[in-house]
Amino acid sequence: MTPTPAKRALPSKESTLFRELLNLYETRQLKKGQKTADQILKKFPEHGETLCMKGLILTHMGKREEGLELVKKGVRLDLTSHIVWHVFGLIQKGEKNYEEALKSYTQALRFDKDNLNILRDAAHLQTQLRLHDGLVDTRFLLLKLRPNLRQNWIGLALAYHLNGNLTEANKVLEQYERSLKNVPDYDPEQSDLLLYHVRVLEERGDLPEALTLLDTNAKSRAIVDRVAVMETRARILSKQEPGTDAEQAWRALIERNPDNTSYYYGFFSSKNTDLGALTDADRPNTLHLLRELSLQNPRTLTPKRLELTVAPVGDFKPLVNMYLLQGLNKGIPSLFVDLKPLYHDNQKLAVVEELVEGYRQVLEEGRLPDEFPDAVAAISDSDVPTMYLWTLYFLAQHFSHTNRHSRALSLLSTAISHTPTLPELHTLRGRVLKRLGDPYGASAAVNEARLLDGQDRFLNTKSAKYKLRAGLVEEASDIFGLFTKKDAVSPGADLEEMQSLLYLTEEGDAHRRQGKLHHALKKYHAVRKVFEEFEDDQFDFHGYSLRKFTINIYLNLLSWEDQLWSHPAYIHSAVSASQIYVRLFDSPSLANDVLSTGLSAEEEKKAKKKARKAQQKQEELKKGKPFTVNRRSPLKHAVAAAAAAASNEDKGLELTPTKDEDPDGIKLLTSPEPLERAWKLLSPLLRLPINNIDLWISIYDVAVRRGKYLQAVRALSHAKALDADHPELHVRYLHFQKLYGSLPLPPPAPVGTVISNAMATLATDEMSSEAYNVQYLQRHSGNAGAVLGAAKALQILGGPRDEVEGILFGVLNPGVDLPLKTALDVWSFLKDTSSPRVNEFRLACDEKFNLSTVFKTPDELAVMYSQGPDTPINTRAEIDD
Amino acid sequence: MSVTIRPARADDLTAMQACNLQNLPENYTMRYYLYHAMTWPSLSYVAEDSKGRIVGYVLAKMEEDLAPGDEPHGHLTSISVLRSYRRLGLAKRLMLQSQDAMASIYKASYVSLHVRKSNRAALSLYQDSLGFSVQDIEKKYYADGEDAYAMRLSLK
Repeated sequence: MTPTPAKRALPSKESTLFRELLNLYETRQLKKGQKTADQILKKFPEHGETLCMKGLILTHMGKREEGLELVKKGVRLDLTSHIVWHVFGLIQKGEKNYEEALKSYTQALRFDKDNLNILRDAAHLQTQLRLHDGLVDTRFLLLKLRPNLRQNWIGLALAYHLNGNLTEANKVLEQYERSLKNVPDYDPEQSDLLLYHVRVLEERGDLPEALTLLDTNAKSRAIVDRVAVMETRARILSKQEPGTDAEQAWRALIERNPDNTSYYYGFFSSKNTDLGALTDADRPNTLHLLRELSLQNPRTLTPKRLELTVAPVGDFKPLVNMYLLQGLNKGIPSLFVDLKPLYHDNQKLAVVEELVEGYRQVLEEGRLPDEFPDAVAAISDSDVPTMYLWTLYFLAQHFSHTNRHSRALSLLSTAISHTPTLPELHTLRGRVLKRLGDPYGASAAVNEARLLDGQDRFLNTKSAKYKLRAGLVEEASDIFGLFTKKDAVSPGADLEEMQSLLYLTEEGDAHRRQGKLHHALKKYHAVRKVFEEFEDDQFDFHGYSLRKFTINIYLNLLSWEDQLWSHPAYIHSAVSASQIYVRLFDSPSLANDVLSTGLSAEEEKKAKKKARKAQQKQEELKKGKPFTVNRRSPLKHAVAAAAAAASNEDKGLELTPTKDEDPDGIKLLTSPEPLERAWKLLSPLLRLPINNIDLWISIYDVAVRRGKYLQAVRALSHAKALDADHPELHVRYLHFQKLYGSLPLPPPAPVGTVISNAMATLATDEMSSEAYNVQYLQRHSGNAGAVLGAAKALQILGGPRDEVEGILFGVLNPGVDLPLKTALDVWSFLKDTSSPRVNEFRLACDEKFNLSTVFKTPDELAVMYSQGPDTPINTRAEIDD
Repeated sequence: MSVTIRPARADDLTAMQACNLQNLPENYTMRYYLYHAMTWPSLSYVAEDSKGRIVGYVLAKMEEDLAPGDEPHGHLTSISVLRSYRRLGLAKRLMLQSQDAMASIYKASYVSLHVRKSNRAALSLYQDSLGFSVQDIEKKYYADGEDAYAMRLSLK
């Protein structure tokens, strides 16, 4: 043992006090601990370990800055003490600075290599940071030190597994199982461990061994999770070789839960048939088997629905007739959504249309369809009105889906006059209007639905979402507020706390469309915060799941966390915010424009009123409300910690949320480094396999402006792999060519070479950019999006305005398919470039999209929808689903 | 119609949370979903449509604080199905799978749940479709002071 350094050694009285100090800290007697530390420091003000302990205690008491100061001083004064490094690590961990915390723990272990607490914490940090080599070492040491703790065995097996070494994982598990004595019967923990072992064998490809282990332990009831046993068994058997055993296993699963489509896929795969890619030769036999399964499991619709997919058109009609009549008779709202995938086949679409139109005609006359099969549950003439209604509902969806919107609307108006009280009719009407480009009408219709069933939060959420799509942010907030917590500062604050991605992205988008870029950025950054919370949430489970022996789900949690940031809501927010940041970078005056025109006098008044209300609410909260414990509080120790906090002023080590210094996002908007902010949002996505072309375009836009040409050109390659002809990619390609060609000096090799090579694969010919653009336009002249792309590219190449606009107006030509969304994009582009032809384009679109309202002037709109508290502001409404 | 009922996975939790927020007034942060999944991984189920969207879920657990003499039992934390997927019996199908797992894995003898006294729609779902009956009234169970019905379904 190394001797204690002189500066650490304390005389016996202080030495006793120091031990007491450690004890007081462990039991969180913070005030006493602070006094004891002060007693020691009075005589030995330079005692590093005491300084650190005092700093730790102060941090717990909420004096973070002062505490951290002391800890840092203590570390400097005693660099070889494990205590000071451990304390420093604890504080960094509390700040979620896991990398730095691990460094401190590693230091601590240098001076006390067998400290179990430090080792365990280090293992959690290594797992969080996915440092699997180090994790194996730490777990190995823990097992060596405490082989009698079962979780240490599992910990090591998992570490090997995460590090890709299944062979060692298997060995550890085998050794552990041999050492086990007296395992209680029906033990869920042991059950999950054995299932985990089976999984290791399966992933290793040791299928016979996996199956034997599974079967033996399932038989002896050591594995108690029947569903898991059956699913694993069927899967392994199918991997081994398709055949009777596998077939039986899948059949057993279907009997147990006939509502799981994947079981049917498994069943057919055991017969060498891929339900997802049927050949015509497979169809008759598949259909026959499905019919059998359907008869054996009469309570499920799954095989019946599969029959509809599998059936050739010749057999389709009687099957779908039965399916439709049953669904319409029961009034199943999702019937159309369920059948829609069949419409890929035009003939099937026609059959459905013919049948349902037929029902409608008969029902309209007050009769039931003639071909009503006996098999359909008892039905009488009194059911006619309801069935008629659901038939109209189905047909309206059908016609809207096939772009016959006027027909859809007229069916809906028949249905609504028949039964004005069915909310579904109004929500559907809203959806049709939205598709037609009438967001205000849509929002009014969905609000009708909401009013018909005020207790239903589903309708409430829909209505608020439609308000946001129409730009009615205040009204949306009021509607959300009918279901959010009454004691929340605002409805939005509650939804944000509850991590509602729908609310945050929709409100962010609403602000963005209205040009309130600061508010939009605020919401997009709030989305990022939610994902940071999700990422952080796993930390506690590195220890918890080992203690609970829930290993399989824990492993799945880790892989989910690895993919976490590829969630569509995050991608959407990161891309939308980046687009704003790029605009801010390109036109530095934009931020000021937003702030000076963003708030009209009236809005300002409203905002002030809102702030006053929020403040009042907070004050009321502070005054009256007793401390209410959240019944649904997460992990139990969180409740304990909260109780301790209340009694002992222990604020814990985690950072507490501080006051929001930028509630309106103005600091985000006026940030001097918009590109760095954008890059921070995009960077978690760089290494994930994401098939979203907008993301790669955004990565290009930010990278190229940061001068990172290699990253930029790589982003273009990703985009090209997804859609080589995408208009935005075309624009970026020419943008890059122009920029790269104008560099005074190309980047030196090897980067320069890589970039040149990548450029060569992006475009095929050695022609001028202008010619390339003309060629692109000719190739895609019927595609409005491509026309817009070619116009944007010409503008970048410095083409004259009239030429750019000439191309753009081409979208109005008869041969061009112009979706509403693209028309809005063209309009925005004309506005952004201050084109003199903006109004000409708007009027042409207003005529072309005669059922839409988005091309109306504010005055026209005000006449159409007068007296709203928020008069719709026509900026850029959201049309698509 | 062709909606799949299957055990919930770790990568379903965000969609379950979204479904809950869209449908019900009682909401939870992700930690609470994780706590369920990481403690009783086989008790929660989801309903998934053919495009992979989660349209319903049951979030369930075992009761941890058993009163002396009380038998092990499950607890239904939250169950809901999107309005647009009603009348398919999804709640019932979700519930049956979950209660089967409670009984076979954890030897649960009954399932308990709480519901707001004012929530008539939910009450009828639990009573009429799922077979629960009211056991007790818990005064001021909810943070806003509303009472709850404590309901039970025997698994024996």
